Amino acid sequence: MEKEVKHCMLLSCFLLFIVDALSAQTPFVDITTSSGIQHQFIVYEGMFGGGVCVLDVNNDGWEDLYITGGMADDVLYLNQKNGTFKNIFEGSGLTDTKHFVTQGVVSADVNKDGWVDLYITTITSRDSVKTIPRAMNLFFINNGDNTFRNATADYRLDKMISFSTGASFGDVNADGFPDMYIGNYFHDFQGELKEINDATIVNANRTAFGYLLINHKGKYFSNDFAKYGLTHKGFGFGGVFTDYDNDGDQDLFVNQDFGYKAIPDFLFNNQYPKKKLLDVSEAMNMDLKINSMGTAVGDFDNDGDMDYYITNIRFNYFMVNGGKDKPFQNKAKELGLEYFAISWGANFADFDQDGDVDLFVSNGDLNPNCTPMADFYFKNENGKFLESARAVGLNDYGMGRGSATFDMDNDGDQDIIVVNQKPTLDYPVSSFTRLYRNDSASGNWVKVKLLGHGSESRGLGSRIEIYTHGKKQIREVDGGGSSHISQNSSIVHFGLGNENKIDSIVVKWTSKPSQVIINPAIKSLVTIEEMVLPGSPPWMYYLGSLVFVLGFSAYLFRKRAK
Amino acid sequence: MKFGKLFVLFLLIDFFAKGCKSDPGPIMMDQEVANKWADMTLYILKNTPANSPTFASRTLGYIGLTMYESIVNGFPEYQSVANQLNGLNRLPGTDSTQSYVWPLALNAAEASILKNIYVQTSDSNKWRIDSLELAILKNYKSRNEKSAINRSIAYGKSIADSIFSWSKTDGGHRGYLHNFDKELKHPVFPGSWRPPLYAQSFSHNPLHPHWGENRTFLKQNAQMDTPNMIRYDTLNTSAYYHQYRAVYDKEKTLTQEEKEIALWWGDDPDVSITPPGHSYYIALRALRASHANMVTCAMTYARVGMAVADAFINCWKWKYLFFSERPNTFVPEHIDNSWESFWPDPPFPAFPSGHAIQSSAASVTLIDILGNNIAISDSTNSLRKRDLLRNTDFKTRHFDSLSQVPIEVANSRFYGGIHTPQDNNVGLEEGRKIGSHVNQLNWKKK
Repeated sequence: MEKEVKHCMLLSCFLLFIVDALSAQTPFVDITTSSGIQHQFIVYEGMFGGGVCVLDVNNDGWEDLYITGGMADDVLYLNQKNGTFKNIFEGSGLTDTKHFVTQGVVSADVNKDGWVDLYITTITSRDSVKTIPRAMNLFFINNGDNTFRNATADYRLDKMISFSTGASFGDVNADGFPDMYIGNYFHDFQGELKEINDATIVNANRTAFGYLLINHKGKYFSNDFAKYGLTHKGFGFGGVFTDYDNDGDQDLFVNQDFGYKAIPDFLFNNQYPKKKLLDVSEAMNMDLKINSMGTAVGDFDNDGDMDYYITNIRFNYFMVNGGKDKPFQNKAKELGLEYFAISWGANFADFDQDGDVDLFVSNGDLNPNCTPMADFYFKNENGKFLESARAVGLNDYGMGRGSATFDMDNDGDQDIIVVNQKPTLDYPVSSFTRLYRNDSASGNWVKVKLLGHGSESRGLGSRIEIYTHGKKQIREVDGGGSSHISQNSSIVHFGLGNENKIDSIVVKWTSKPSQVIINPAIKSLVTIEEMVLPGSPPWMYYLGSLVFVLGFSAYLFRKRAK
Repeated sequence: MKFGKLFVLFLLIDFFAKGCKSDPGPIMMDQEVANKWADMTLYILKNTPANSPTFASRTLGYIGLTMYESIVNGFPEYQSVANQLNGLNRLPGTDSTQSYVWPLALNAAEASILKNIYVQTSDSNKWRIDSLELAILKNYKSRNEKSAINRSIAYGKSIADSIFSWSKTDGGHRGYLHNFDKELKHPVFPGSWRPPLYAQSFSHNPLHPHWGENRTFLKQNAQMDTPNMIRYDTLNTSAYYHQYRAVYDKEKTLTQEEKEIALWWGDDPDVSITPPGHSYYIALRALRASHANMVTCAMTYARVGMAVADAFINCWKWKYLFFSERPNTFVPEHIDNSWESFWPDPPFPAFPSGHAIQSSAASVTLIDILGNNIAISDSTNSLRKRDLLRNTDFKTRHFDSLSQVPIEVANSRFYGGIHTPQDNNVGLEEGRKIGSHVNQLNWKKK
């Protein structure tokens, strides 16, 4: 009998070992601890956050991370090029954020000096109790030496006292200077509130206008929300700039909470060159009446137009592009995406590099409810999705929020960072920000990095297409606000499967001209610098005019002489 | 040219002089003074942000009572109920040797209590209150002596001041500042309430968790026994399971009219007059339909107001005692994971139904005064646009008798998928008791 028990125990140990061994071989490996990332978002009074932004702070070719902390300090993780990150937040010039409850974060080269700048949304101050939670958002200019300077006031952003969630960079007017859309959850104030009484307090939790911040040649921003025809309010979670109708300009999709009882989501068609964002939400079936938390942008069926996965409470929506002037359709159910959860972040990327985009979804209960729910990983199999988070090692039960994809170790495939909140109640599992290294991708790949001149320095908002054997794949360079109040890498990644050759890469820059690269190398990072069409100096025009006038006079003179 | 200018100037002076002259308009019926203030109360209630059914019910209790007490001394058949209430004691008396213009006492009292108890409303709403007060004053001015007018206004205001002062100690004063207790630890047990996923409110904390500790208008209502609730059980043969199964099955077979009923009585405080406001509105319709006189109107608003206020206090006491789950929690867990209610969940526990208890309490008082056989139309939401998400219109409701109202109100929550039959039945039953207690006060002199 004793022997049998011993055998059983041995067998159990063996089985456990096998299970352990199997789980150790999951395609995604949680390397949070070894990478040195120690982060947990601390929520303010059960509200929202946080987000993560992928950026290359020092232009060393290794992408770094900025993650908001809410009530905790934010972090700036510098990629150490060896699988680890170093938090250089202290001394980075970003510590003014410590006075605020931060939410989301996005980056762009606002002043076009070649260094990526940071915009951080906030909901209130951290170190002074406010009856009505509001605060300015923060804008930091990159000094180019791993430090930033607070340029919020210089860029005329300090008077907008708001409860902001997500921000997105996009070049609405295609002038090469990135503009912004900001989602506000509760209505804002211009300047600090001088008098607070019962009436101002009860008004505080009403729906808000967003901001459309137009960048004036990298010098300052102005809120041109109304000038562009925008009138909407809502419980805003920001939005994404994206070209849904393939006409070359950046349209805007806006996520809004409580769409079923307050104000739904919006899709705005950019009427460029007119200064107008036209509301096409209803006609395009994008006026989603849901708790719209975030958006993943990707062409899941490689049919040449962008589709949008929108996170929600309970069931997420997958709005598939119907083609020119045709409304979007929610195909979550028929494509295998109908899973119950409370979802926030979502990212399309070709994680397994088989030539189509898969989908990662970050889930987490409403804090302080604190019921664990696992993240999702939907593998794209010929246009249908198969949930396989457990099998691939991504079924974390932390309280997930924003997430982003990037190639943390420059091995060519897409890794994942997921921000997690600290649960305010007892929680049966750990919940902290996770970094997953992708170890499984087997197919070929190419990464494309843009160097903009007429366009934003990283080509934010530009469309990149690759052609292989007549097959086309498309990506947009993420301007942020995607996933949940976050931003993916601006280096675009394509999986190629067994394809050994790319026929061409086409870049459709936001500043309009397209550029074609023939036969680029695969399994490499292809850097494409925007061509600058040589502009003719003014004296050429004067000379040309003079030659014309002289020539014409000579012609007349000769004709007369005849 | 000069003459032309002078002529225009003369015309302008004449125009302003005429414009400024008080034009009292057609003589107002006394009862319309009462009803117009009920209209105004509902307008302010609906158009003040951060509103809640709990706070709204409380304001109606004080506003209704103030209306009655401001005029009761003008009607020998009736008497003040102040000393029968929970700690109010005596209110200022009148001078029996002097005459009063009672509608103007009511007018001043209502304007005062409304501005005090809705101090958080916008300035434009306060101007609206002033404007009604002034219009009514003008209407009575030419018909009455100045001294009687001033005396009546002062008296009305003194009643309002006394009642407002009493209101400050009930636990609900400025309750809109504390709608959600962010420090509250939610009890967690099988069958416990959980923050809704399909929610009416962005708060994950339940509304006014301490409201049940507030002072009731009537002591009798604070002394009621706790109702029984069916024990938690997930077995599909259990009584508890059947409660939720009934909600689930109903949602699958909702008729268009049932959807209209669920929508109509949704009474979301963000966009509507709230459930207790809806009851006050039903009283207004019934009073107008029966051409009740001023004192009857005032007594009705006082009874309905206090009935809904006490109903909400008791309801909240029991809601937080049982802290029970909604169908949106039980059904996905034990019946159908993909199920969603027709209407989103309000942010507080289920048992018993607040809609049912307050409507039942209000209707018991209303019927006691006016009788049951009054046909009314309820058009409170008639101007609202079709609900595109649910493909349902806001259609005016018609009732042949007043007792039909609370039944439809309770059913609306069952159709909405947010209350079980038990929540409704207990709500209706306890509401009847609360309303009866209000009726049993000595309103008339014996």
